Amino acid sequence: MARAREEAGDSQLVSGRESSSRIIRVSVKTPQDCQEFLLAENSSVLRFKKQISKYLHCDTDRLVLIFSGKILRDQDILSQRGILDGSTVHVVVRTRLKGSVCTGGLAGPTVHCTHRPEPPTSDSAGVLVRLGRLARTSPDLGDFFSQLVQLLTTAPESVVQFLEDPLIQGLANEKQGNGLHVPESSKSVQKRDPALKFPETFQKPGRQQEVLQEHKQRLEAPKAVPGGDNALRPGCSDIHQIMLSTLALLVASRGHISGSEMCRGEATNAHCSSDPSTTIPARLLAQEVSTGGVTQVKGILASQAISGCRPGILDLHLGSDFPFQENQQLVEKAPPVGHPRPSPSALCRALNILQQNPALLHQLATGSPLLHHMPLLPILTNPRALQALLQIEQGLQILSREVPELEPFLWDSAKPCGATGAPETRGRRQTHREDTSQHSLAYQHHSLANVQTALSLPLLNEGRYQQELEQLKALGFTNHDANLQALIATDRDIHAAIERLLGSPQA
Amino acid sequence: MEPPNLYPVKLYVYDLSKGLARRLSPIMLGKQLEGIWHTSIVVHKDEFFFGSGGISSCPPGGTLLGPPDTVVDVGSTEVTEEIFLEYLSSLGESLFRGEAYNLFEHNCNTFSNEVAQFLTGRKIPSYITDLPSEVLSTAQTAPTTEVSSAPDGVSALGRSLWAITQLSSLKGPKLPKGI
Repeated sequence: MARAREEAGDSQLVSGRESSSRIIRVSVKTPQDCQEFLLAENSSVLRFKKQISKYLHCDTDRLVLIFSGKILRDQDILSQRGILDGSTVHVVVRTRLKGSVCTGGLAGPTVHCTHRPEPPTSDSAGVLVRLGRLARTSPDLGDFFSQLVQLLTTAPESVVQFLEDPLIQGLANEKQGNGLHVPESSKSVQKRDPALKFPETFQKPGRQQEVLQEHKQRLEAPKAVPGGDNALRPGCSDIHQIMLSTLALLVASRGHISGSEMCRGEATNAHCSSDPSTTIPARLLAQEVSTGGVTQVKGILASQAISGCRPGILDLHLGSDFPFQENQQLVEKAPPVGHPRPSPSALCRALNILQQNPALLHQLATGSPLLHHMPLLPILTNPRALQALLQIEQGLQILSREVPELEPFLWDSAKPCGATGAPETRGRRQTHREDTSQHSLAYQHHSLANVQTALSLPLLNEGRYQQELEQLKALGFTNHDANLQALIATDRDIHAAIERLLGSPQA
Repeated sequence: MEPPNLYPVKLYVYDLSKGLARRLSPIMLGKQLEGIWHTSIVVHKDEFFFGSGGISSCPPGGTLLGPPDTVVDVGSTEVTEEIFLEYLSSLGESLFRGEAYNLFEHNCNTFSNEVAQFLTGRKIPSYITDLPSEVLSTAQTAPTTEVSSAPDGVSALGRSLWAITQLSSLKGPKLPKGI
């Protein structure tokens, strides 16, 4: 303090001509500690800064003094700003030269973010909020999410946390016969999730390399398991779709979008309608970080499957920054989400349906013969499609019960009976199918009860469609089942049904 | 010189007990507690709070707790978002690391108080910052047998406070490793 007194003495000499030059004791508070300084009350802030800079061993340029919520300018006099004996002045040491500090406001957050040096470790809180700010102000969420990528790469453990959630494991473990492969498959799913959604946002080559390396290693692991690679893809797509959908629904179901610090509600809301496909998953993922959705969702969701999922996912987000890591390699492998982009409300409806049919979620996960080669998302988001799917599942089950010899055909993914055909043959799944068919049947039986009680619409009630069916038959559509499905899907809209029947054979 | 911008600073106050403390505290503690307060600072359109995961932020009202029970106007600040974020990073590396969290001594309200003073020079209302001492002081005077045999002598309500805060909502998004 002697030094401080000397300084104070200096300032006393210098400013002795001026009015009062009382020495006051001012506390200077940094984020790390608090230090008292003695100086004349009419000394300038600049002088004060010099004192402080000597103490903190930094440039005066980098000091920002704040008192009573006001930023002190160099030319200010302490007493004029109300700094008295015993006052506390806060100090922030800037890591960058202050450019727009005194002018207030945000000077081009985008610029700041992109010029920011790579490693976020030293500035995590700042980065997080900065990213959020960026998202808020940047019209291009893609840029924003590329920044997101940077942060994600620094928190790989979050992925593990997510994957260890029992529900994820449970979902995965439903796939009997995959056994070991499954946990890895779910891992890959989660990794692929963002990969699918952020292919365009991967902008920083340096980070890309790191991330790619990381993911390569992680993916090698599952692939090292014999047959793991084969098991991965079909399993992954389902789980991926389900997770994606449920996550999206979770977000959408909140009504207003309140994201994490990474995801500003305003910006995402604005962008939601314009680019839901890319932004929804990213948003929902990021928004999962916002814990705001949990209580509401927990209230909404009765389903154990989903609600089990929720804490897992949300804990993931809560407890981590971003569980998603990108892997460009995966982008081409994973099934692209190229279908018509679901709106949040549609996803919301799908969530409700999933909620009503907890068994459905399991069903989708465990896999019926149909689902593995169909993208789930469009089904989930179209309630009529979902109903149609349920009916198909029911029908298949009934068939397999009534005519046992049909079982191999039914469970052969090549041609599901009564459905509009799925050409893929997947030998590797057949064995699995047969093994689990018993289990799946029983399961579906059980789930059917749930489904029927949950869905208010009468299932398999052909009577409703009798008239339309006859019309279709008259027009030459002889496949009764296909007609029925089409009518159900299009809600008795015969024209749409016709188009459907004429159009893609895929359900 | 152009006048600097002024940014409003608000304090969001949440009652973690959702009213239970008000009703049960007389029985359990022998004194009236109005609530178990969790606070956060809202500035620059973001909500900042401190939990066992360190300093976190989210859009205002975006935590698990939902909308705040009370909003206190702390004042205005000239501190820009940039400076504020740097300040928070420094805090997060020093005083307010995640592991520094202590339910009674160094909690979210400590943080809110610190930040409020930094931003505006004002402290947050004392009924919030006095809460830990209120609760702790009941350990000796509680008429019931609720006083636990926990090493620190904290009453059952104190323990349930701990449980509430540990369980869920105060965990904001974790800062990346390296903070």
